[in-house]
Formats: sequence, structure tokens, C-alpha cells
Amino acid sequence: MAEKALLKVENLTVHAGAHDIIRNISFTLNQSEVLAIIGPNGAGKSVLLKTLLGIMEPTSGSIEWAENVRVGYLPQRFLVDLYLPMTVGEFLDLKPQRVHSNKDVLKLVNIEESWLPRRLAHLSSGQLQRILLAWALLDDPQVLLFDEPTENVDVAGQESIYALLHHLEETMKIAILIVSHDLHVVYQYANNVLCLNQKMMCFGTPDVTLTKSTLTELYGEHAHFRHHHE
Amino acid sequence: MNALQIITLISGILVAAASGAVGSILVVRKMTLLSDALSHVALPGIALGILLHFDPLLSGIAVLFLGVLLIWYIETKTNLAIESITGVLFVTALAIGALLIPQADILEAFFGSVKNMTVLNALVQSGVALGILSFIIGYLKPLALSAIAPDLSTAARVSQSRMELFLLILIAFTIAVGVSFVGVLLMSALLIVPAVTAKNIANSFKGFVGLSMALSSLSLAAGLTLSNMYDINPGLMTVIVSACAFFVSLVFRKKAL
Repeated sequence: MAEKALLKVENLTVHAGAHDIIRNISFTLNQSEVLAIIGPNGAGKSVLLKTLLGIMEPTSGSIEWAENVRVGYLPQRFLVDLYLPMTVGEFLDLKPQRVHSNKDVLKLVNIEESWLPRRLAHLSSGQLQRILLAWALLDDPQVLLFDEPTENVDVAGQESIYALLHHLEETMKIAILIVSHDLHVVYQYANNVLCLNQKMMCFGTPDVTLTKSTLTELYGEHAHFRHHHE
Repeated sequence: MNALQIITLISGILVAAASGAVGSILVVRKMTLLSDALSHVALPGIALGILLHFDPLLSGIAVLFLGVLLIWYIETKTNLAIESITGVLFVTALAIGALLIPQADILEAFFGSVKNMTVLNALVQSGVALGILSFIIGYLKPLALSAIAPDLSTAARVSQSRMELFLLILIAFTIAVGVSFVGVLLMSALLIVPAVTAKNIANSFKGFVGLSMALSSLSLAAGLTLSNMYDINPGLMTVIVSACAFFVSLVFRKKAL
């Protein structure tokens, strides 16, 4: 299968001021593939995502997206002002590029249509995340970039978002690039894993790549892994 | 009420509606201090207009744009926070303006006056206000998106810096037409207070923007009418009306659960 990669990154380096945040990262992402990016705090994971999206500028190296590729993005945090007067429907209406209707994407993330007039400020963080996923799906993306939240999301909410992502990947053939803090998720859903700690420490399938020594090198000697590999 | 007063009132309502619309974006984007400070920058412009005998509206706009460009330039060259730069600029502008302006005109410049309003002034102000309104309506979605979710906005290819520049230009025009009604010190009565009030009670974004426009217009209309009746300064009356609406709105504040 010589299919064209959706995303090809070569020797990507990003600086902030005089410091390297990430250095010489290279990988590819193919259709309906799940790539997990793991690494300790401050490893440059969110910076990598933001650079891929064009929110930050690369210092050197290249980022090559397939032609006319549609990319969806779920940010790690979406802070809604407690008094923001905006409904779910109005928020979804703000999306400039769209293929699907608001009702269609709500159905895809298992949310009832009756939520459209609800206020964003009234939603829990897990519910808000599903609305963000609905937002990302509006323009029928071929790739989803998901920056997994590190805090403030209930466990049940997280479980359901992974189940949803997995379902979307299978039914809609969406490729997913996920920044993850949970090795359980990586083992369960990812085809490939990229270990990042400023530079690239590993790349490959999780069961081959994630050896004890790689993980120790990545997270340090006494790190506690959330690892429930069956 | 004579014809000039009616034309002034209509122009005031349009200017206030434009201020309410711009203010609603500023409040969501948390740029209220910037707009308040920028209104002081108009003062040297008004002073120059009075001294050199041409329309203070034009010189006000010219100086405001100079101020906006200066803020933009210093921000990109020095990485100082935009609020710090504005803080420095606005006391400087206030001092220069107050030094230049003739003593007899200083209160009017500070708190507004419609005594010297001409039909031409009113028509120009109405035209600018309608321009601001149509721009805001046309760009409401990208402006709102970049205000509430900068990352999503960039990812959806809505440029943050372009939206910021649009807003600065809108603020400059809004202040230029608003200061003759409420003066440089009270611009917040039209820009910020109605938007904050509307945010307290609105249930949706459209409702919020609409309510902010309506409250701003009502405050100014009431302020102008009261000032005609009792010969009081219109800017001061407008502030009192819009502040009353704000305090009433606190009672009905819609909080998240």
C-alpha cells in the first residue's frame, strides 16, 4: 500500500527565544492511523501540536500536509468565562469552514439536539470537550489533533471521549494525532507512538517501542507510569 | 425640541449603538482598559482642532490613529504588555491635551457637549456610526471567535493579529464619534458599561450584542433628553443612566451553575 501520507514532518525544530523547545522531530501520519505523542511535562508536546497547526512558527525543518487536507483540533484547555452569554448552537455557528450541520455533528458525539440552546458556561468540562469535538468535526476532517487535558476532566468523561474517538477513527477513517499522558490509552488505541523529550526518543508501534528502558529514559528512574497493559 | 436637537438625538442613538456593539466584543475579549485609555488619546487631537480652527472630529481621528499605530509599533518592537504601553501613552496624552486645550473648553472636552453641534457634524457622525455597525455585523463571527477561543480561531485560519487590528481601528472610530456626546473621560459610559450590563442578563451572544447596543442607545438618548430639559451636561447624565442600568442588572445576573 503506497498511499500518500497525510502529514510528513522532517527535522522539525522550534525555538522560543534562544532555547530549543523541540529539536529534529521527524515522523509521518497516514490515513486512519492513530499516532500518540508521549513525554514528560515540558517536553514540547503541545508546542509540537501548535506548530503543526500553524499557531506557532517552526524555526527549521519542514511540515508537509497532504494537499487540501482538513485538520480538526481539540485544544487542551478551553476556558469559558462563567458569564459568557453564548449557546452551544451559537458557538458551533462560529466555525468558518463547515461541511456538516450542527445537528449532524452533535449526533456524531452522542449529544442530543436539545443541547443547541444551552449555554456553554453551564456545561461540565467533559461535556465541553465533546462540544469541542463536535466543533472539530464540522468541516469533516481527515485528521484530528487532540491535546489531551491533564486536569479537570472526570474519568468517566475521558473514557467516553476515547471510545468516541476510536469509533470515529473506525467509521469515518479519521487519522488521529493525540498528545497523551496515559499509557493505557496509548497501548489500547495507538498504532504508533512518538516519545518526545525535546528531541525524539523513540518512534514505532507501542508494544515494540515502549520498553522499560525507553520509558525510564523518558520519564526518569522513579517515575510512576499509569500503565495497565493487559 | 428643534430640528437640530432631533438630528443630534438620532446621530447620538446611532453612535451609541455602534459603541455598544464594539464594546460587547471588547468586554468578551477583556480589552476594556485599552479602549478607556485610548479615549484619552483623543484629547490632544481635540485640542489641536480647537486651536487651529478645524473640525475636532477629524483631528481626533488623526491623533487616535497615531496612538493606535504607536501602541502597535511599541508592542511589536519591545514585547511590553499592551496594557503597560497604553498606561504610559494615556497619561501622556491627557497631560499634553489638557495643556493645549483652552481653559474655557476643557470641561466640554472632558465630559462632552452638544451645544456646538452642526447638522454636518451630526450627519458625519451618523455615517461613521453606520459604517462601524455594518462592519461589526459583517465580521461578528470571526471577531467573536478570536475573542473567546484564540487557539481555535488560529487553527480555523482566522488571524488573531488581523482581528486585533480591526478592533483597534473600530475603537478609534467609535471614540472619535462618541467623544462629542460624552467627552474623553466618559467614553466608557457608551463603550463598556452597557456591554457589561448586557453580559449580566443576556442568554445568548446575539442577545448580548443587541442588548448592549440598545442599552447604550437608551442611556445616551435619556442623557441627551435630560440634559436638554435641565441644562445639565449630557455626558454626565448618560453615565448616571447607564450606571443605574448596570446596578439593576446585577440583581438579574445569570450565573453559570
